[in-house]
Amino acid sequence: MSATDELKQKLPAAVVSTGMQGNKPMAVIKKEELLNVAGKVKEMGFDHLSVITGTDYKDHFEVVYNFYSYNKKQNLVLKVIADHDKPEVDSLTSLWKGADWLERETYDLVGIRFTGHPNLVRILLPDGWIGHPLQKDYDMNTEQFVTIGEKGEDIVSTDGSNLLRRK
Amino acid sequence: METDELIINMGPVHPSTHGVLRFRLRMDGEIIKECTPVLGYLHRGTEKLGEMKTYMQFIPYTDRLDYISAFPNNYAFVKAVEELAGIEVPLRAEYIRVIVMELNRIVNHLVSIGSLLMDLGAATMIMWGFRERENALQLFEMLCGARMTFNYIKPGGVREDIPEGFMAKLNEFLKDMEKRIEDYEQLISSNEIFMMRMKNIGVISAEDAVNYGMTGPTLRGSGVNYDLRKYEPYSIYRDLDFRACVRNECDSYARYIVRIDEMKESLHILRQVVDTMPEAKIVSSAKYGIAPMTGTPSAVSTYFPRIFTPPAGEVYSRIEAPKGELGFYIASDGTTKPYRVKIRSPSFCNLTAIPKMVLGLKIPDLIAAFGTIDVVLGDVDR
Repeated sequence: MSATDELKQKLPAAVVSTGMQGNKPMAVIKKEELLNVAGKVKEMGFDHLSVITGTDYKDHFEVVYNFYSYNKKQNLVLKVIADHDKPEVDSLTSLWKGADWLERETYDLVGIRFTGHPNLVRILLPDGWIGHPLQKDYDMNTEQFVTIGEKGEDIVSTDGSNLLRRK
Repeated sequence: METDELIINMGPVHPSTHGVLRFRLRMDGEIIKECTPVLGYLHRGTEKLGEMKTYMQFIPYTDRLDYISAFPNNYAFVKAVEELAGIEVPLRAEYIRVIVMELNRIVNHLVSIGSLLMDLGAATMIMWGFRERENALQLFEMLCGARMTFNYIKPGGVREDIPEGFMAKLNEFLKDMEKRIEDYEQLISSNEIFMMRMKNIGVISAEDAVNYGMTGPTLRGSGVNYDLRKYEPYSIYRDLDFRACVRNECDSYARYIVRIDEMKESLHILRQVVDTMPEAKIVSSAKYGIAPMTGTPSAVSTYFPRIFTPPAGEVYSRIEAPKGELGFYIASDGTTKPYRVKIRSPSFCNLTAIPKMVLGLKIPDLIAAFGTIDVVLGDVDR
């Protein structure tokens, strides 16, 4: 029995559909059930959270979780669909500590918010950065200028006014 | 005695952070109470670039992620593309790929161990490491003209066949390297000062290492017997004889020993590959309607279309890069450019665990532990 079938059997209400991501079994699950399903997945022996990917599909966001089991030597993929207006999914930091930075990165670049994350701030871009670059409607033409303020904070502007020493 | 806590910034420009990385340290005297890595100084938006370039145009960008070991980066992306489009690769090309990737693993570990020792205050190893690295780089140069950023592995094969004299020089390198590794071990492995600096420093249990998503030598140093080449074999690793190098001590010393052992295993792999190298064409051609190339050098620049459209779909493929698990997630919408490229870089994920590893240690121990994680900032910040 494949891992997705097992998941479907255990949590029939949570699984929307099953399919394949390349050669890896994939289950699309309900957004509200993510934490529940992830807990079950961990119980099933999928101890390695390999990657979290967020993708902007213009009318919705997809968040893809790639799991692997070191004991069973099996892959499992979970996919969650989030609204485009308010992309929010549950954080998995309570189950995998490695999810911390992966979720911060996804928030930073794709703009998906992870509820329950202890420290959901930008990780690669400066704090005041405008927009999330991997969203498809990200403004590529406006330049952003970053300087460091008195207290070490990042100051971002679009006109470069923060670059001038004298006001 | 009452003491005040002190915030210290280590970096972003610091010789032992191997690039531009900042540690924000909350110190109680000499003891680290909290360590927060601050990233992003080298962020170049590689994933966004991936969406704006065609598949072939993106390959050179992968070189610039982990620039110490660029061949595995090339290969990881190309493998994802090949899985997406169902491209077959001829056997000789796979052999060449394994040769360059294993050579690159040796180069990576030489740089890693060399810079670790330099951070600890011993300058010999980096000289020795770079001396042997130079020989390997000359081999790479013979192969594709570049020494660090290769752009050599392409979907369906490799860019050019191996040139004349390459195999002889490779054999020489292998013979030489065997003795060199013995030298390193005599110099370092049982050095008392080195052992005092490394043993029981930066300890992370197997359970934690898995939970933090650590991979590669850092995971195997914590006693988890896992190597993607072995348990999810790709390319020709299925037919090769090698073992996953594991140590159970979970500390910095264990991770160092794993790297030394891996170099030996790489040599073992290379010897097998050299002996069984098949004579055949080096690029796949059946599917894309281009005449088959024989194993002659230089006749190849048009074997694979510069612009091609894989079918729509998504794929996540991962390989055992020298630093750990390197994965590329590609979502294709059936156009000439990827819809989304996500890079799962080993350095980024391994670095997640450093705050846990150095809690309660001193700053020099942070340097030792960080050195054995072996990150490249191009790979962390992407």
